[in-house]
This record gives sequence, C-alpha cells and structure tokens, in this order.
Amino acid sequence: MNRKKKIGLSVIMFCLAMLTAAVCIWQSNRVTVLEVGIFAGSNWDVANANSYVIIDKAIEKFEASHKNVEVHYYSGIRKESYSEWFSRQTLRGKEPDVFMVLGEDFNQFAEIGIMKDLEPLMLSDPDFDKTCYYSTALQAGKYGGRQYALPYETVPTLMFVNKSLLNREGLFVPDNDWTWDDLYRICQKVTKDKDGDGLLDQFGTYNYGWREAAYSNGARLFDENGSESYFNDERVVEAVRFTKQITDLNRRQKVTRDDFDAGNVAFMPLPFTEYRIYKTYPYKIKKYTKFQWDCITLPAGAQGGNTSDINTLLMGISNHTEHEQLAWEFLKLLTYDEEIQMDLFRYSQGVSVLKQVTQSKETEEILQADMEKNEKFIDNNLVSDVIENGVVTPKFPRYADALTMADNEINRMIEDDDNIDNSMRILQRQIGKYLRR
Amino acid sequence: MSVQKVKLRDVRVIMMAVNFIAVLFASVFIAVTTEWICSRYEARDFLDTLHALPVQPATNVALVVVLYVLLVGIFIVQEKYSEKQERDGGNQTGKIYLTLVLEFIVSAAIVWVLNFNYNGIFFLVFTGVIYHVKGDKGKYLVICLAMSSFPLTDSKLLSINMKLYSINDYINYYDTSAQQYLLGAYNLLTSLNIVLFMIYCILMIQQQRGAIDEVNLLYEEIRKTNADLENANNQLQEYAKITERMGETRERNRLAREIHDTLGHTLTGISVGIDACIATAEIAPGETKAHLERISDVARNGLLDIRRSVNELKPDALERLSLESAITKMITDMKSITDMQIFFDCRIRKLKFDEDEESAIYRVIQESLTNAMRHGRASRVRIVMERQDDMIVLTINDNGIGCSEIKNGFGTKHIMERIGMLNGTVEFQSDNGFSVIARIPIRWGEEYD
Repeated sequence: MNRKKKIGLSVIMFCLAMLTAAVCIWQSNRVTVLEVGIFAGSNWDVANANSYVIIDKAIEKFEASHKNVEVHYYSGIRKESYSEWFSRQTLRGKEPDVFMVLGEDFNQFAEIGIMKDLEPLMLSDPDFDKTCYYSTALQAGKYGGRQYALPYETVPTLMFVNKSLLNREGLFVPDNDWTWDDLYRICQKVTKDKDGDGLLDQFGTYNYGWREAAYSNGARLFDENGSESYFNDERVVEAVRFTKQITDLNRRQKVTRDDFDAGNVAFMPLPFTEYRIYKTYPYKIKKYTKFQWDCITLPAGAQGGNTSDINTLLMGISNHTEHEQLAWEFLKLLTYDEEIQMDLFRYSQGVSVLKQVTQSKETEEILQADMEKNEKFIDNNLVSDVIENGVVTPKFPRYADALTMADNEINRMIEDDDNIDNSMRILQRQIGKYLRR
Repeated sequence: MSVQKVKLRDVRVIMMAVNFIAVLFASVFIAVTTEWICSRYEARDFLDTLHALPVQPATNVALVVVLYVLLVGIFIVQEKYSEKQERDGGNQTGKIYLTLVLEFIVSAAIVWVLNFNYNGIFFLVFTGVIYHVKGDKGKYLVICLAMSSFPLTDSKLLSINMKLYSINDYINYYDTSAQQYLLGAYNLLTSLNIVLFMIYCILMIQQQRGAIDEVNLLYEEIRKTNADLENANNQLQEYAKITERMGETRERNRLAREIHDTLGHTLTGISVGIDACIATAEIAPGETKAHLERISDVARNGLLDIRRSVNELKPDALERLSLESAITKMITDMKSITDMQIFFDCRIRKLKFDEDEESAIYRVIQESLTNAMRHGRASRVRIVMERQDDMIVLTINDNGIGCSEIKNGFGTKHIMERIGMLNGTVEFQSDNGFSVIARIPIRWGEEYD
C-alpha cells in the first residue's frame, strides 16, 4: 500500500516536473505580440509620404533588443477614420497595447478608463526622467492630475508673415519679441482699399482670434479640472478687446482664405508643421508661391509673452494590456528615445517633445538642409522656447462644449457689441453655471 | 422529502433559470450592441456617451456562462448533501456551508464580470442561506450579511467611486421605442426574480408554520400518552398490592412446606430412632446409649435446621454443600438412625443446577426417603439420577409396602408442587414397593454430562 503510494506520488511528481518544463520551454519560445495603434499620414493634416518610416525603425530597434517579441500595427488607417477604428477595437475589447490618441479623444478616453495611468510606470523606471520633456508637452498628457499619455510629437503655433506685402508697404518683418501694439500698428497701415472700389482689398490678419490673443496675454480660460472659468479675468477681457480693435479695422468686411492665398493679408497664425512643409521642398512650390513669406512668434500682450497654444500628439497604453512592461518600453522608445525623436525632424513635420533633441545642432542642420540657400529656417531654440512657454489647453470632459459656447458668444461680441466688459461678466456667469451643472 | 420542500426546490430552480436568462441577457445584449455599433461605424460617438466600458464583451458572455454552469454545479452538489443529511441524518452541515460560500463567491464573480449591472443573482444565494443556515443568532447574522450584499452591490451606489459600465448606456444607444422594450424586458426579469424570492420566503414561512403545527400535534399526543401512562401506573400499583398479598400467601405456604420438610424429617428420624431404643434398651443398654447419642445429634441438627429455616428460609445441608454432598450427607444421616439400606446412583457426572432445582431435587429425595421410612416401612431404597434426552430423571424406588391408593398427603403434594414449579412431571408407582419418578427438563444453557 505504502509502496504503491510512493510510486504513485513519484509518477505525479514526474508528470508535474515535465509539465513545468514544457510550460517553461513553451513560454520561452512563445512570441509575444505587441499591438500598436497608429494612423497613416500626419496628425497635422499635412501631406506625409513617410508615414511608417519612424514606427518601422522603432519596431526594428525594439524587436532587436527584445527576443520573442513582435510588434504589430495595422497600416493604412487614415487619421480621419483612426478615431472610429480605435473606438471599435476598444468597444470589442481588442484595443492595441500602445496607441496614438488624438487630442479630441484624449479627455473622454482617459475619463472612461481606456488609458492606463502611467504614473506608477514612470516612477518605477529608473531610466526615465520626465524633465527631459517639454513641461507643456507632458502637461498635454495629463488628465485629472494624472499622466495618462506621453507626448510623441508637438506643434506650436507660429505667425505667418507676408514679407512681400510688408516690403511693399515699406515695413520690416517684426522681431520675435514684438507686441500687440506692433501688430495693431502694422494692421492699421496695411488695411486699405487699393483699387478704389470702396471695398477693402488688403488686410492685416486672417484667422487671428481672441484665443490667440488671450494665450499671448498670459490668460487662462479654465482651471485644470474644468470647475472654474476665468472669462471676466482682465487678461481675457483685454484680449477680446484687442481682437475687436483688430477686427474693427476691417470695417465689418470678412477676410477670406482666398484673400490670404492671393497675398493680400499680412498675418495669419500657422502651425509649425505647415511652416515646415511649405517652406521646404517638395511642397514649397505648391502653396504661397506668389509672395515671400516667413514665420515669427505671435505678438505678446501687455501681460503675456510671445506664446501660443501648442498641439501635442499623445501616445498611451491600454488600461487592459497584458504586456504592461513591454508596452511601457515601446512607448518609451517612441517618445523618449533621442534617435527616434530625432527622426521626427527627418520624416515628420512636427517638433520633438524632448528638449535636448529640439535644441540640438543636428536638428538645426536637418531643418536648414531643405531650405533655399538665401533663406534661414526659424531658429530651433526659439521654437523650443515657444513650446516650453506654450499654452496647454485644459482637459476635462466638457471642455469642447464650454469652449464652443464661449467662442460663439465672444465672436458675437467682437462683431457687434460695444460693452465688452459687461458681456464678458455675463458670459463668465453662463459658463460657470454650465460647468457646475 | 415533503411537498413543501419540493416546492421550495422548484422555486429555486425557476430562480436559477430566470437569473441565467438575466445574466445572459445583460452580457449578450452588450456584446451584440457592441457589434451593431461597430458595424454602423458609430463607435467613436458611442464612446462619448459611456462612463466606462467592459473589457471584452464577447469574452464576458463566455465567462458568465462558464461561471453560471459552475454555480448550477454547486447548487446540485448542495442539494445532494442536503438530501443526504435529511435521509441519513448524517452531519453534512460543514459541506453545505462550504457550498453556500462557493455559491456566494461564484455569484459575486458573475456580478463583478457584469460590472454590477445585475446583482439579482444574490437573491439566489439568499434562498440557500435562508434554507440551510441553522442556529438562532448565527442564522440572522449570516442572513443579514448575505442580504447586505444586494444593496451594497448596487451599481448606482458603486459608480460614485468606481468606473463601471452601465447596461443603460448600451440601451440608450437604440431609439426610444426600442429602449422602452429593452428596459421593460430587463426590468421584468429583475422583478420576476424578486417576486420569486418573495414566493420562496412565503413558502419558507408556511413550511415553518407547518412545522409548528406538527409540534403542537405531537405535544397533544404526548399529553394524551402521559395521561394513559398515569392511568396504567395506578393500575400497576393496584396490581402490585395484589401481587404482594399473593406473595405473602405463597411465602406462608413455603414456610409451611419448609417446616414440614425439615422438622417432619427430623422428628420422623427421632421417633423411629427412639422406637428402636425402646426395643434395645434392655437387651443392649450400651448400644442404646450410642443410638440415643446419635438421635440427640439428629435432634440438634434438626433444631439448627429450623433456626436456619426461620432465619433465612434456606435449605439445610444444601446451603453449605454441593447437591451431591448434601444428598450423601442426608443418606448417611438417615442410615445412621435407621436400618434402611440406601443406594444412591448418580449417573450425571457434573451436577450443575440452579438453586431452585437443587432445592427441589434435594427435597424430593428427602421427602421420598421420609415416606419410605414412615409409610412404606421399607428396608432398602434405591435413588437413581440420570439424563434422558433433555430431561433429568430422578427415580426413588423402595421395597416397602407401597400403597394401593396414593394419598394426596403433604409429602406427595409437595413433591408435585416443587417439580411442577420447574415445569417437570412426577409419577408415583406402587406396584413394586413405591416409586417416585420425577422428570425435570434441562434448562437452556445448562450443561450436564
């Protein structure tokens, strides 16, 4: 009896040992697949022929350093359909481990728990130093005070300047530390009826709105949680007042895109990406060919600096990933690796989110490489400053709605309201009421 | 199992089915709606209406089904244990409690997978707890704990602090009329489950009421039985009194017999011995003197016997000696005072009798010898004790004159009485001297070689 038991026991032990060994071997040979969600083309709605160059390079690098790991992504998903594609995957519970998240999706995705809170991963990784990022870019990935996404690529807003027009009017391109007064002065000068038909046909600005003014006047519109708004703040009211002044110069005439493309507008806020793409070959010949142009910073208000809002493409990790550590490492490779980040300047049109990469000599060389001999690309250190001092729009679920509410009301004020101060107080009450609801 | 118990079980089975439909509805509905939304390319807009979303709707369906099958399995095992406990009375309480705990855990797992969108399944666990948990304080504590799991897992309450997906968000995806039907169906299932739970509770109460009635009935029966018993007790006391009186009478008879046996025997011996002495007194005074001495011994012995009889009502020599020795002594005594030749032939080697048997045999021999001497004037007596089949046969045969008509004197009457008490038979023969043949049946378990 005892002997039988012993034999039985040893057989069981043997089987268990074999099973364990088999599992170990299987596990060590098993290929872990890491799914990545990315879209083709640029986040900045500019043409991009090199959609997958950076990701392919990153995957190659990652797979080389991680045995038995395969990184997989679906190619051919365009930005317009990415959000829907990602939402479908998420609803079915098949979202990728690491994924790009569009600015307009980030708030809701973080809110409903699709994205992993990265704080623990960031803290436990000794090789990770978050101060390498632009604080504003990092701020864009925060929701409710927690880091849910890391910045991958960022784009500041610059001011497009029609050099030919200014030259024609005997004016110089302003310096990068110019102010609202400078802008108003130039606009006043260039706004005119050239052909004498009684209608204005040359304008100061196109698309320059109260928000651009507010950001460069050091104003905040909302607090981070979306519980407070600051529309009766002096800085915002000043910005609205200033925008009204600028707009009033046009005598209620609407400036159109055609006016701008025809070279009849002096200034327009322009994302860095467009500057980058239309300033260099091959797209240089496609747009803005009738005149000389360049980009400078936005004009500073009395209480602010030459800053603008920055637009950041974020990447996050699925809250339900089975390969948390691998996902983190791949995310880190894309957003934190200097080599990969440098490639953004080579194959994309945005700016690296790493300070050291953007400010480097190499970056300057890459940016200058495609320029014409007699032209100089905007100083990368200046871009770096714009990003570091940029304005990050707050993230809360009703941000978009609240902003639309404010936008409609303020645009109405700018067009036909004399009592801005009073209207802003009313607006502040309305928005406050909406946010508290 | 009683009808009530069968009903209770049936309600549980129906509840199982209803709950299964409910959890299946919740999980399948979400999975199907997800696919529907995806196929219509409305996923992104739908996400905006959500507060949280399930990890994997399709996997959830499988998970819920597997967990539910597990739950049904535990339920079946629980019923088995319960039946076994009722049938054999064995103690299965520990095992039943274990199944209750497992049921609770699996139910909680299902509720967790469904993100608290349906927690009516806890009612199913309550039914088990109510039915199986025994003990007073403990029972209410456990029931309270179990019951509290229902309100505590309310999705609206929990969603204050937790990210929980809501089936309502998925229902809201459809147009208003479809929403009404879906919500109606879902609420119907939830209500049906609660109604079933109530029915279960009512049945349970009824069953307990039934048990109380049964107890009352039993109590009434016990009361009646008690009265009967008292009655019987009284009768018994009466009877005991009668028995006591009868005992007294019997004892008196026995005493009379005892006196006749010992005293009669001794006196007969003395009178016969004195007769002899009278005859020899003048011819041989020496011999007569010795004879008288022996008679004196016999008289003294007889005196002792009487004393003993009075004191303890016990037979004489038999008290101290074994039956055979006692008989031998009695024969020796008898020979010494008479000229009678007595032969004792015992063909049973080991004599092992009960006291009453020994006493009877001894007395029968004693009486027969007395009779032979007194009435038969016999000069030779032969005593044979032997075994025939399952009978002890005692034959005492003398060569006296016998008697033409056997008188129902004290002697023979006593012999018949004594043997009759042992279920034996006695036969008297007078054709060749006088013979007493007593047959005593061997008692079960006694050994005679």
